[in-house]
Amino acid sequence: MTPSALSTDPTQSFKRTITGVTLVALPVVLFMLALMLGRYPIGPVDVGKALLSPLFPDLAADIPDVARQLVLRIRLPRALAALLIGASFGGTGTAFQAIFKNPLVDSNILGVTSGAGFGAALALLLLRDTWQVQLFAFAFGLLAVFLAFFGSRLYKSTPLLILTLMGILIGSLFGSLTAMLKYLADPLDTLPAITFWLLGSLTAITWQKLSALAIITIVGLVFLWLVRWRLNILSLGDDEAKALGVNPARMKLWIIICSTLITSAAVSVSGVIGWVGLVIPHAGRILVGPDHKRLMPASIALGAAFMILIDNIARTLLPGEVPLGVLTGLIGVPILILLLRRNRTGW
Amino acid sequence: MRLGAKNLNYGYLPGQTVLHDVSLNIDPGETLYVLGRNGSGKTTLLACLAGLIQPDAGEVMIDGKNIRTFSATERARRIGLIPQIHTPTFAYTVAEMIMMGRAPHLGWLGAPSQEDHAIVDEAMAQVGLFELRDRPYTEISGGEQQLVLIARGLAQKCRILLMDEPTAHLDLSNQHRVLEIVNQLSDQGLSFIVSSHSPNNALAYADRVLLLTGGWVSAYGSPLETLTESLLSSVYGIRTEVIYNGEGEAKKPVAVITQRPISLLPESLKYPHSLLSDVFEKSFETPQLILVTGLSGVGKTTWCTRLVDLARNEGLTVNGVLSPSVFKGQRKTGIALMDLSTGERRQLANLRKDDLAKVRTPRWSFEPQVMDWANQVLKDTGENDLLIIDELGPLEFFQNKGLVEGLKRLDTGRYKVACVVVRSSLLPNALQRWPNAIVVNGSTRSESKTQP
Repeated sequence: MTPSALSTDPTQSFKRTITGVTLVALPVVLFMLALMLGRYPIGPVDVGKALLSPLFPDLAADIPDVARQLVLRIRLPRALAALLIGASFGGTGTAFQAIFKNPLVDSNILGVTSGAGFGAALALLLLRDTWQVQLFAFAFGLLAVFLAFFGSRLYKSTPLLILTLMGILIGSLFGSLTAMLKYLADPLDTLPAITFWLLGSLTAITWQKLSALAIITIVGLVFLWLVRWRLNILSLGDDEAKALGVNPARMKLWIIICSTLITSAAVSVSGVIGWVGLVIPHAGRILVGPDHKRLMPASIALGAAFMILIDNIARTLLPGEVPLGVLTGLIGVPILILLLRRNRTGW
Repeated sequence: MRLGAKNLNYGYLPGQTVLHDVSLNIDPGETLYVLGRNGSGKTTLLACLAGLIQPDAGEVMIDGKNIRTFSATERARRIGLIPQIHTPTFAYTVAEMIMMGRAPHLGWLGAPSQEDHAIVDEAMAQVGLFELRDRPYTEISGGEQQLVLIARGLAQKCRILLMDEPTAHLDLSNQHRVLEIVNQLSDQGLSFIVSSHSPNNALAYADRVLLLTGGWVSAYGSPLETLTESLLSSVYGIRTEVIYNGEGEAKKPVAVITQRPISLLPESLKYPHSLLSDVFEKSFETPQLILVTGLSGVGKTTWCTRLVDLARNEGLTVNGVLSPSVFKGQRKTGIALMDLSTGERRQLANLRKDDLAKVRTPRWSFEPQVMDWANQVLKDTGENDLLIIDELGPLEFFQNKGLVEGLKRLDTGRYKVACVVVRSSLLPNALQRWPNAIVVNGSTRSESKTQP
C-alpha cells in the first residue's frame, strides 16, 4: 500500500465532516432563534416570510406588520452584529494566540479595548452623539495599539515580551484615564451611560452602524482566513519561520493591523466584551485540534455562535437587558470547564 | 547543489566578533560536522549559512551565487535548517509539523494542496514516522521529534540541510537511529552540515570536519586530518586520546576518548620505565611538558617540591621558580617565590590589607620588583634537565603579565622537561596553548589511586 493510500482514514474524515457541519449549523440555528425569540415571539415561517418580504412583498401579506418591522428593523441587524462581533473575537483571538505563541492572550493584549473604552467614555462625557461615541471608540482603540506597538520599537529588537509588556502598560494607562473620566462624569446622567457602555450591549444597533462594522469585519476576517495556515509557522517562533522562508515581522505587522481594525470596530459597536477572544480558540482547539487551517474557521464559527447565544439570553432572560460583558463569563466559563473535563488537550 | 562560505565574519554587537573568517565548502552528498566548545560559534555559523542573519563580512554562496540575491522563499527551497528539538506552544500533530516544511513552496496566502499532502506522506514514510502521523508532536519521544524535524526538512525539498545539534538530549540508540537516517539521506545526494558535541559521531559519519575555537577555524579537513589528539585537546581544552584501528594505509581513527588527569607520585621517578622516568628519557629528543593541576590547596606546589628533591637526588639539574604559600596560623596571607637554582627566597605577594575580611578578586597585591626578578630567573638559563614554573594564572593567560618569560620559554620550547602548575579552572586555556602536554593530578594525598 502506498503512503498516500493510507493517509485518508475514513473514520477520521467522517468525524471531521460531522464537526464541520455542526460548526456551520450552530450559528445558523442560533441566528434563526434570535429572529424568533423576544417579548413578541414570532414563528419560523413568519420569520422566513418577513426576511423575504423586501424581495417579494406579496409574501408578507398575511403576517402582522409589527412582526415584519420587528424582524427587519430590530432583530435582524442586532443578530447580524452579534454574529460579526463574535466571529471577529474568535478569529482575532486565534491569530493573536498564534503570533504571540501564547494561549493566554487575545486581541486585547495590545490595549485595544482599554483604548476604545476611553474613547467612548470621552465621547459620552463631551459629545453624547451615538455615532461620535462609535467613532471615538474606534479611533482610540487604534491609537492604543499604535502606542503599544511603536513604543516597543523604541527597543532595538522587538521581542514578544516587550510588546506584551507595552500592551499591558498602555492598557492600564487608558484604564486609569477612563477611571478619571468616570470620576469626573455626572453621577446621575453621564456616569451610568459610561458604565453601561463599558459593560457591553447591542441594544443601540442600527443598520447604519452595522454597515460600517460589516465592511471592516468581513475584509479583516477574509485576510485572517487567507493567512490561517501561515499562523502555524508563525507560532513556531521567528527563527524557524525565517528558515521556512516566511518573513515573520511583516506577517505579524499585517495580522496586528488587521486584527486591531476589526476588534476596534467590534468594540466600538458593542462596548467592552472581554473574554470571548481568549476562550473561543481553546474551545476550537478541543474540537478540531491546533492546526490553524481548521482552527481559524472553527473559532470564527464558534465565536459567532457564542455571541449570538449570549445576546439571545441578554434579550430574553430578564424584562430589561442584561449587559453582555456580564453574561459572557457567567455562561462561557461553565461551558469551557465542561469541555476541558471531557477532552484532554496538550496545547 | 553546492554550498560555500567565504571569510564569514559576524558579531551580535558592534565591535564584537563571534565568527572570524570562516570558510567552507560542501558538495552534494557530503556531510560536514562542525565541532567546538559551547559558545564557539557553531549555531551562529549555521544561522549565517541559512541566511537567518547577514554576515558582517564575507559571503555565503549557493552554486556560486550569493544567497543575498535569493528571496526568503527561494533560499528556503534550497537550504533547510533543522533546529534543536523544542516544544512548540501548540500540540500540532506530526503530519501538521511536517507540512510546515511546504511553506516556501506555497504562496504567502496559500494553503497546502493534495500534492503537498502526498509530499508530506512521502517524507514521513522515508524516515519511518508514518504510524505516528496523527500523534501530537509534543507527546512523542525526543528521537522521534528529531526525525519529525528531519522529515520537515525533506518536505521542504532542499538539497542542503543544516542540523543544529541533532543528537543533543538523545540516548545512545536514538542518536544512532537519527544519524543512520541522516547518513542514508546523504547517500541519496543530500548535503548535511551538522553542528555537534560528539567527535565520535563525527568520526563515524563526517566526510569533512570544521573545528571552531572562539569563532576561529582551528582546522578544516577530513576526519583523519582534523580529529587528532593534539587538535581535539586544544579545541576542547582537555586531554583527548584517539583510538585507531589498522596500520599504515588502513589506519583509521575509531573513537575519541577524554583523559582524566593522571594520578602520579613524584617518587615513581626512581623506577625505570615508569611514566615519569620515560618522560625524562624522551626529553632528549623533544621537550616534554607536564601540567600539574588541581583545585587550590590540593598540594600542587608540594608535588613539585618533591619532584625537585627527587630529581636532584638522581643528579638532574633543576631551575625555575616555586611559589609556596605563606601562612599565618590557618590563614594564607602571602605568596613567596623561590629561585630553584640559587635557593633565594623573596615575598612575591601579600593579601591586600583592606581585604582581610572580605573576598575580592584580585585579592593579592604583587610586588613588581619581585616579579621582574622572577622573570629574570626564568629568562637566563643554561641547559637544565627540569624547569619548574609555579604557577601560571589568569595574569599570564589573560593579560600577558606576570611570569611572561615563563610563557615565552614554554612557547619557544627552550626546555627539556617543564613542570608547570596550573589551577583546574585554567587547564583548558593551558591545553589550548600546549595541546600535547601531560596532565597530572597535583594531589599528593590520593596515594591509593596511584598508577605506576
